[in-house]
Amino acid sequence: MAKLETYKPIQARVAPKDPIKIKSDTLRKLLKDKRAVVCILFLVIVALIGILAPLLAPFDPEEQFYESILQGPSKEHLLGTDAIGRDVLSRLVYGVRVTLTVSMLAVAITFFLGTFIGLLSAYVGGWLDNVLMRIMDILLALPSIILALAIVAILGPSLTNAMIAVGVASIPGFARLIRGAALSIKSSGFVEASRSIGSSHSWILRRQFLPNVAGVLLVYTTLFIGVAILDTAALSFIGLGAQPPTPEWGTMLSEGKNYMYDAWWLATFPGIAITIVVFSVNFLGDALRDIFDPKSTR
Amino acid sequence: MKHFIINRVLSGILVIFGISVFSFLLIHFIPGDPVKIMLGINASPEQVEKLNHHLGLDKPLLVQYWQYITNAFQGDFGTSLKTGRPVLIEILDRFPETVKLAIFGLFVAVVIGVSLGIVAAKFKDSFIDKMCTAFATLGISIPSFWLGILLVLVFSVKLAWFPIANGTGFRDLILPAFTLGVVASTMIMRLTRNGMVEVLSNDYIRTARAKGLDDGLILFRHALRNVLIPVVTVIGLQLAALLGGTVIIEQVFNWPGLGTLAIGAIMSRDFPLIQGIVLFMGVMYVTINILVDVLYSIIDPRVEMGTKEA
Repeated sequence: MAKLETYKPIQARVAPKDPIKIKSDTLRKLLKDKRAVVCILFLVIVALIGILAPLLAPFDPEEQFYESILQGPSKEHLLGTDAIGRDVLSRLVYGVRVTLTVSMLAVAITFFLGTFIGLLSAYVGGWLDNVLMRIMDILLALPSIILALAIVAILGPSLTNAMIAVGVASIPGFARLIRGAALSIKSSGFVEASRSIGSSHSWILRRQFLPNVAGVLLVYTTLFIGVAILDTAALSFIGLGAQPPTPEWGTMLSEGKNYMYDAWWLATFPGIAITIVVFSVNFLGDALRDIFDPKSTR
Repeated sequence: MKHFIINRVLSGILVIFGISVFSFLLIHFIPGDPVKIMLGINASPEQVEKLNHHLGLDKPLLVQYWQYITNAFQGDFGTSLKTGRPVLIEILDRFPETVKLAIFGLFVAVVIGVSLGIVAAKFKDSFIDKMCTAFATLGISIPSFWLGILLVLVFSVKLAWFPIANGTGFRDLILPAFTLGVVASTMIMRLTRNGMVEVLSNDYIRTARAKGLDDGLILFRHALRNVLIPVVTVIGLQLAALLGGTVIIEQVFNWPGLGTLAIGAIMSRDFPLIQGIVLFMGVMYVTINILVDVLYSIIDPRVEMGTKEA
């Protein structure tokens, strides 16, 4: 251990970039990009709406107004009411909580397991890399929605299981991307140098791999948030995710589909909400990609 | 070239073997007793034992897999618990409808994607280009099932131009195919645009312009041909993706394809049918991907160089 301490200054010199400098550079570039700033501001507002839902929503999301069933947008109910007289705006506001929490947790599953598998595969290499990547290839060979359906089939339909399904179904793609990014770092001189002077594996992984794949991680995690929101809503829409009366956007759309001839607003507003949020996330992801991975084509 | 094709086919076979193991294990991944879950809580012990025996779950795992895979090779994917019909018949009944939808969806995607890609490249960095890029981002952000609902609302309910989702005729096909196509067109559009922008800056295009050739001729005869190779690959891959992508759209339009079958099977916990669909879709997907790769290597021999990095 003491030996490692002695070598630390040398390792710091051979490491390519100073992580603190990367952070401030990135932040400056990000703040220069108007579309990124607008997207961040918008997403912060959406998150605040979710957090402050009980204060902002005009009514309880499950309160039923029997006298105004399937009523169009009006002064009392700005976005109208549904088939059992619940206020659509209140359900939409509470839906931010459900939709964002579930999607973020799904992304967390993808992020941690995907990063772990990708880094391990790239760093260890050899047979472990081969085995892990063949398993990922098999899972990637199935369209992600089929994989997610298979997982829901195993676990049974529920919001938690849909979240796990969406998270797990995205792991193979994520792990492959991270492995690709990590492989290019593995072959760089500074990792070789650290190894040759006896740095521990965990030090190299923590201090050299992670900071250098951080940009790629940030870009793909952001883009995966959009995918997770869409996929979770899709599973709820087909009845395999959130179950009524949970105010989840996909479930609301599914309920709205049944009344689209009489009540256009039921299927319209949740759809707009999903589209705007996912659009902002994707726009932000694109802006981040321009900063971290300018060579990649979209 | 031969080496590449053999390699690709062998790796495909390995992946199909993996998918067969995954689909076989599905039933074993279920927490608790799968047979009790399939039969429900009111099932008698005799019924449980009978189904256990029928599905072969009372045999050792390796024997079960061997039986599963040899039966599958003979076209026997088991029997649907819900309908009592062979799984393969159930799948083959629905598959043509899914293929029809995917192919028409792909057609729409190619028409929209390639034309918008060309327009965006022609007017690079202009307002039109920015609009096309925004369309591409919107295309991947909009939930396909919501787009489908919107189209039904506008074109079937309000304008009454198309029938309201209940048949499988040509007129019934237009809205679901358009929904699928719009979402799938975004990738084709981006690729066409980026390829065109790159090609249009080449010397031979400048020469063609200097010769006074017509802009349209330069775009379609000189530039587009060179852009199309990667675009054709993506189109092939999109077909495979669309076969999976129809799952949700089928629900919106009550389309009697594989997706509707799969969701029904999950709801009724009909595991032999779920396993069959997963295996079937996996094999389809892998086969299309191999065919696309092989075709690509024939069209553009340089592709072999890229295989080493995988």
